[in-house]
Amino acid sequence: MYGDLGSKLVLEAKRAQQLSQSSGSDQLPLYQDDLVRNILREIAHLKKNAEILKSQQELENFDNKVAKCQYFVTLLCMERNKRCLLAYQKLRSDALDAAAWNRNGLDTASSLSAAKDGSSNLSHHEQEYLKDYVQLITDMKSGDYTDIDLSGSLTPPSDVFIDVRVLKDAGEIQTEYGVFNLIKDSQFFVRQADVERLIQQGYLQKL
Amino acid sequence: MGYYDIDDILADAAKFPCRFNYAVPGLGYLEGNVGEEIKKNAKVELPLWLARILAIVGGDEDADPDAEGALPFVELLAPEILSSRVMNAIKSSPVALDVHSINAHFYALAVKWATLFDDRELVRVLNYMLLERTREIHNHAASGTLGGAPSTFMLTLDEFEKKLYRDTHSGCKETRRWIVRK
Repeated sequence: MYGDLGSKLVLEAKRAQQLSQSSGSDQLPLYQDDLVRNILREIAHLKKNAEILKSQQELENFDNKVAKCQYFVTLLCMERNKRCLLAYQKLRSDALDAAAWNRNGLDTASSLSAAKDGSSNLSHHEQEYLKDYVQLITDMKSGDYTDIDLSGSLTPPSDVFIDVRVLKDAGEIQTEYGVFNLIKDSQFFVRQADVERLIQQGYLQKL
Repeated sequence: MGYYDIDDILADAAKFPCRFNYAVPGLGYLEGNVGEEIKKNAKVELPLWLARILAIVGGDEDADPDAEGALPFVELLAPEILSSRVMNAIKSSPVALDVHSINAHFYALAVKWATLFDDRELVRVLNYMLLERTREIHNHAASGTLGGAPSTFMLTLDEFEKKLYRDTHSGCKETRRWIVRK
């Protein structure tokens, strides 16, 4: 019956939600292109039904309770499908927003494609959206709040200096505060503010 | 219970038994036979998102409430999940009740039903049930580990209670970690 496809899509969304909750990563599963397309087809079908009902009403002066009921059921099915589609899309865009805040715009705005390895899982429109949203974040950071790193860590700083260990070889990396030679398994005693971003990117591990 | 709430949408898909108060042609697909009319007094299982509205609209506002035309399109019949059998089970022992096997969205559905019919008795029972079960949930969340072997009680939680458990558990865990690190 109508609306079953929508439920399937929402179940898919639920699974994605649970996945990100349990693993803690912001990986998104593949966009359900076929399912969404089928739901849209169903909505188009319902719309045609509604139009037929409407023209029938005008022709036969069928304006009674029964016609109203038919019209109403058709309308409600469309509403339901709309809600399912929107909820699915909202969940995904929330995940995209979170990813944009957490991973992109770090340091000197590292390139988008490298940071988002799930790019191929996104629909074309979502890729556009993500790009524009990252642009929005960049605009906001370069506006009035330039002296605060808005996408920085939300854990309150407890120490000024920390020990860090290098997890990945990255050669010589220039940060705003100086040059580090990141050789795997070496340790540094540095100011936390300097290496915050390298920790977020996964080059360093805090000790 | 937001518009975009996944669990709310899933709860809305639960089927409730309904009886049609009118014969409606062309709605046979609700019963499984496409293209035919649905008969008066036909019993159909409708998802809540459809049944909820159809149970409200249909009656003429200006008509006499006893007259034929005043009935809404469908009449909602008492569902299995809120039958007196279940109510008695809740009253006797909320903690031992397997809520998940009744319905995975039991609370959400019960709240919707209570709102629809202004059912004070049901609200009272639900309050009691939630209070009793919350105590047990908190005990599990504060002591147990998420990865450990699940006890039988954990398998009886419905979706709302699972969320409650998850939040409590992570709260307790994070606090403990912070204290140890200090």
